[in-house]
This record gives sequence, C-alpha cells and structure tokens, in this order.
Amino acid sequence: MVRLKLALCWLIVGLPLVWGVAKTMQNAIKLFQ
Amino acid sequence: MSAATPFGSAGNTPVRAGILDRARTVAPGSYNRFLVPPAALAVHLSIGQAYAFSTFNLPLTKLLGITQSAPGDWSLKAVGWTFSIAILFLGLSAALFGRWAESAGPRKAMCVAACCFGGGFLVSALGIHLHEIDLLYFGYGVLGGCGLGIGYISPVSTLIKWFPDRPGMATGMAIMGFGGGAMIAAPLSIFLMDYFKTPENNGVFESFMTMGVIYFLFMMFGAAIVRVPPADWKPRGWTPSVTPKKLVTTANVHVDVAWKTRQFWLLWGVLCMNVTAGIGVLSQASPMIQEMFAGGVSAAGAASFVGLLSLFNMGGRFVWASVSDYLGRKNTYFIFFVLGIGLYALVPSIGMAGSKPLFVLAFGVILSMYGGGFATIPAYLRDIFGTMHVGAIHGRLLTAWAAAGVLGPVLVSYIRDFQIQNGVPKAQAYSVTMYIMCGLLLIGLLCNVCIRAVSPELHHRETEV
Repeated sequence: MVRLKLALCWLIVGLPLVWGVAKTMQNAIKLFQ
Repeated sequence: MSAATPFGSAGNTPVRAGILDRARTVAPGSYNRFLVPPAALAVHLSIGQAYAFSTFNLPLTKLLGITQSAPGDWSLKAVGWTFSIAILFLGLSAALFGRWAESAGPRKAMCVAACCFGGGFLVSALGIHLHEIDLLYFGYGVLGGCGLGIGYISPVSTLIKWFPDRPGMATGMAIMGFGGGAMIAAPLSIFLMDYFKTPENNGVFESFMTMGVIYFLFMMFGAAIVRVPPADWKPRGWTPSVTPKKLVTTANVHVDVAWKTRQFWLLWGVLCMNVTAGIGVLSQASPMIQEMFAGGVSAAGAASFVGLLSLFNMGGRFVWASVSDYLGRKNTYFIFFVLGIGLYALVPSIGMAGSKPLFVLAFGVILSMYGGGFATIPAYLRDIFGTMHVGAIHGRLLTAWAAAGVLGPVLVSYIRDFQIQNGVPKAQAYSVTMYIMCGLLLIGLLCNVCIRAVSPELHHRETEV
C-alpha cells in the first residue's frame, strides 16, 4: 500500500514534468535546423 | 506542545491540534520519506510558473484589440512590472515569513502559499476582466509574489530533516521543480489561450482562472502528503559521521543571530554573485544569440535556445546539489566560480569562431551552475548554521536573489546599449559584459573562500525551538 501511494505521488508530479521537458526538447531541435 | 502527538494544550485541557498544525503532520512509523520530495515538487513545479510569465506579456497588451494593441490597451512596459513586483514580493515574503513558516510547519505554509498563488491568479483574472492593471499588480505581483516566497521556503527545512544523509540531493530535487515549472507553464499557457480564444476574446482571462484553480489544487496536493519527521528520527542504518568536518556543524544558530554573522553575509555575496551572472544571461538570452550569430539564428531558434537553457537550469539544480553531498558545499561553489569565470571568458571567442554547438554548451553549463547555486545554498546554510532555523535563514538569504534579479538584467542590457551607442558591432557588444560577469564571479569566489565555521559562542543553547 505504501509503495502504491509512493508510485502514485511520483506519477502525479512526474508526468507534467516529463511532458514539459518533452515539449522543450521538441522545440530545441529548431535551434539546430 | 508535543511534537509526537496530535494534541496541544490549553491550561490542563488537551486540545486537538488543527489539521494544518505541525503536530498533526508528524509522520507515522510506516511513512516513507520519499513521499516528501513529491510534496515539495508539487509546490515548486507550481510556483516555477513565474519564469514563464512572459508568455502572457503580449496577450495582456491586446486585451481590447485582440489581434493587435488598441488605444487603451496596456503597454508592454506596464505589463512587465507585474513580474518584477512578484519577484520583489518573493524576496520580501521569504525574508519576513521564513520564521513563521518554520514554526507553523510545512503543511500550513504550503496551504497559505497555495491560497496566495492560486488566489493571486484569480484576482489577476478579475483585473483582466475589468481591465484594471492595479488588480493585476496586486493579484499576481503582491499576492502571487507572497505565494512564491512562502512556497519556495516551505518544504526546504522539512526535506533537510528527512534527508540528513543527503541534504543536497533532497533540496536539489525540490528546487529543481522551480526550474522545471516554467517548462510546464509555458506550453500550458499557450494551450489554454488557444483553447479559450474566440474572435472577441484572446482567452487570457479564462487561462488565468483555469491556472489559478489548477495550481491551487496541485499545491494543496503537496500540502496533503507532506509530513515532518518525529523528533530524533534518523534514516534506518544511518549514523552521523563521528569525525567532525570543518564546515559542517552539529550545533544550531538562531536565525536572529545567524543573519548578523559574517558567514551569512559572505553566503549572501556568494548567492548574489552567482545569480547575477546567470540571471543576466537568462534575461537577454534570446537577443544575445540572435545578435552574436547574426543571420544564423531565427527568432524561433532563439526561443529554443531559451528553452534549452531552462533544461540545463533545471538539471543543474538536481545534479550539482546531489554532487555537493560528496564534494562538500564550499568545493562545489569553488567549481561554479572557477568554471564560470573560464566559460564566460571563452564565450566571446566562441562567438567569433561562429560555433553554435559550443556556444550552447558553454551557456548550458553556466546555467546549470546558476540553478545549482540555488539548489545547493540550503544545504550550505544547514552545514554552517544547523537545521533548527535553516528555513528562516534561507528566507532571509533569498533577498540576495531579489537584488541579483535587478542587478543582473540591468547590467547586461545597460552595457550592451552603451557598447552599441559607442559604435561597437552588435555581434561584439556582449564581450565586455562577459568579462564583467567574470569579475562578479571572482567576487563570489573570494566570498566563498572566506567562509569559515561559526564560532561556538554563537551556537544556540537548546536543542528544540
């Protein structure tokens, strides 16, 4: 139960962060085009 | 009031502490300490939105004209003040409320920060709806700024107490969120404005309302899961080092004593110089790369460069702060300053050689050290002044950020303008600035070298606050 809670909490904060990083990386490609 | 039970007392009658009180947030035995970093991240990812406020700058100047500014619309300069007011209130509130946040506990502080930051968006939305810029200043600038300051310091001392074995890594994880928040907020703001816009409305009002609610809920999630460790708690299997380190104290220094010490002001200088150098570049990154590589970088490419710098800024917060647990804080800052001086000195030559990848890499490393400086400072304070009032001392030290926030951008833009007025080509107008940054980092290096342990006479006598 504790591990499930831990995984869920990390997912809640991790997903938006990963989305933001992916968007930034996607745009960063333009610099070298 | 006992720290181990959820009860306070009024005379002889035990009174159950409120849900937000520190006593009610003491962790049970089954609590996993790795739940604290997500709580801190929830707050820092939200308030990190401040770095992406500029995505609203242009739309806020077209509230009446929708597609272009109309007579009566706010000017870009007037809108620009909103961010400056927010950063000013960040520094002021962190300094003023740091001690309160320390005694009230992380949950209460996070709730207040959520109300201020989320509420600030809602008040600003009202200002946008009524087209009253004073409400925007008060909402995002004053209220939101207080949310930024209280939110920034609220989880720091809790993390340090939960991770006495890795304080740099723990605070780095949280403060990384402040750097990463902009990467979420920038695309989110653009998505929301696109979603809500109509021919009669550019969607800024609805975006502010939505973001206010989202950030409030996200920060309250952090407040709900945060816990403080029971008194005398230690990580399983961890024993504090028996060989004392010169710059790591096991004693505590009271906040009212700490800020009067030489060490506090040397650390203030260290943070201020490190931030001034980084923030100056951040504020001018887009025009700088376009002018130094004239014709070689488009506006979209420059925006990508800014995004990449944010990525290095965020990554540096976690990586450098974690590395400082092994190298020691003083050595880590020594690397920041020496490497920073070398890189700033090389930038003009890299620009003249026309090497874009090297230019991006050099500034990426510089920005990683800018972020690393922010993330390592709480652990440095803990090493020098102990854990007792580290949150409050950190709050006061953040005034260095407010000072650097003004000094850095002004220095870079003023020197650039001065150079151009004196006939220096735009591509070379930043060279002098880079050498001045080297000078600032040298001052920071000297401050760092002068830091010594606090005299035992200044240590706090009691072990509890």
